[in-house]
Amino acid sequence: METLLDAFGVDWKLLLAQAVNFGVLLVVLWLVLYKPVMKTLDERAKKIAQGVEDAERASQKLASADDEAANIVAKADVNASTIVTSARTSALEEKARIVKEAEERAARLEKDAQARAKEEAARALRDSEREVARLSILAAEKVLTKRT
Amino acid sequence: MKEHAVAHESSIHVVLKAEELWNIAGFPITNSLLMTWMTIALLVLCAFLFRNSLKMVPGKLQAAVEWLFEGVLGYMAETLESEKLARRFFPLIMTIFLFVFLANELAFLPGVGSLLWGDTPLLRAPAADLNMTLALAIIAFLTIEITGVAVLGFFKYAGKYVSFKSPVDFVVGIIELLSNVGRLISFSFRLFGNIFAGEVMIAVAIFFVAYLLPVPLMAFEVFVGFIQAVVFALLTLFFIKIAVMEPHGEEVH
Repeated sequence: METLLDAFGVDWKLLLAQAVNFGVLLVVLWLVLYKPVMKTLDERAKKIAQGVEDAERASQKLASADDEAANIVAKADVNASTIVTSARTSALEEKARIVKEAEERAARLEKDAQARAKEEAARALRDSEREVARLSILAAEKVLTKRT
Repeated sequence: MKEHAVAHESSIHVVLKAEELWNIAGFPITNSLLMTWMTIALLVLCAFLFRNSLKMVPGKLQAAVEWLFEGVLGYMAETLESEKLARRFFPLIMTIFLFVFLANELAFLPGVGSLLWGDTPLLRAPAADLNMTLALAIIAFLTIEITGVAVLGFFKYAGKYVSFKSPVDFVVGIIELLSNVGRLISFSFRLFGNIFAGEVMIAVAIFFVAYLLPVPLMAFEVFVGFIQAVVFALLTLFFIKIAVMEPHGEEVH
């Protein structure tokens, strides 16, 4: 065994040196290469997962926003039609009230006018009666003075 | 037998072991150790440069590295059936792959084996030195066994290998124990043998025809270097999986 190892130049000092060499290389590569690369890979994987999740959440939000918008439009529609209906009703009421008022006023004016016309007629009659009386008295006076 | 797998003048010299360049206070610095340091320095430099250019929105290089990491991690999670275990062992498996792969491929740079310091080659493929492959094998072996104990508990894990339920179980347990220890040898010699044999083959080809002929062989060895890195990393992964599996008797079939 000894001669065999000797033939291949195996020397415990060199063996140890090579083992230490490899150990140093392993530690350095671990710290300088594997750890940073793995960290980068993990970070990127996390970032991608985050991105996918964000995109999903955004599309969900968009869908719910669409729903909300549709809701609001529907509600606004209902509101608008109520407003129009009530406006129409109140307009009709107002119109009826105005028409009624106008009719009443017209009726009152007519009545007034009739009353005034009647009064005027009565007064004209009275005046003419008085005139007739006065003329007849004048005529009688003229006749009487002529005779004398 | 005092030369690396390179043809010099008119003969092929093959050296089985890495050669000593300098000796600092009793510590031998071999040509393959020097190349190991270069490989590690290059990897560390690349890692630092890469980290400083990390962005949330990746460029092409970052995308490629991320694709590799995610693929490997996904495969490991599938094999180990646990995301947590996969993340824990990812650095080890990935480092084994990157280190062995780069070490094997850097060996094809011009100058490796041909630059001389005195009369020894200055650089030698790290995996063409049993010290490096055996050190990796020991690390993988210890990781596998310690993981088995940590996940299953000492007695349950030991029960996989030392079982007195029946003579058959006992023998199977002993065989498994031996095959576990045998992994030390198979791990280290597979990588060493493949890379070393490749170097010898290319050296022989260069000895006969120095131009063009070695090209397809080198292309094949580039592929072998990749495959061996994958094999080392994958086998470590599979043995970890086997180590954390419940003992046979308690599986529900």
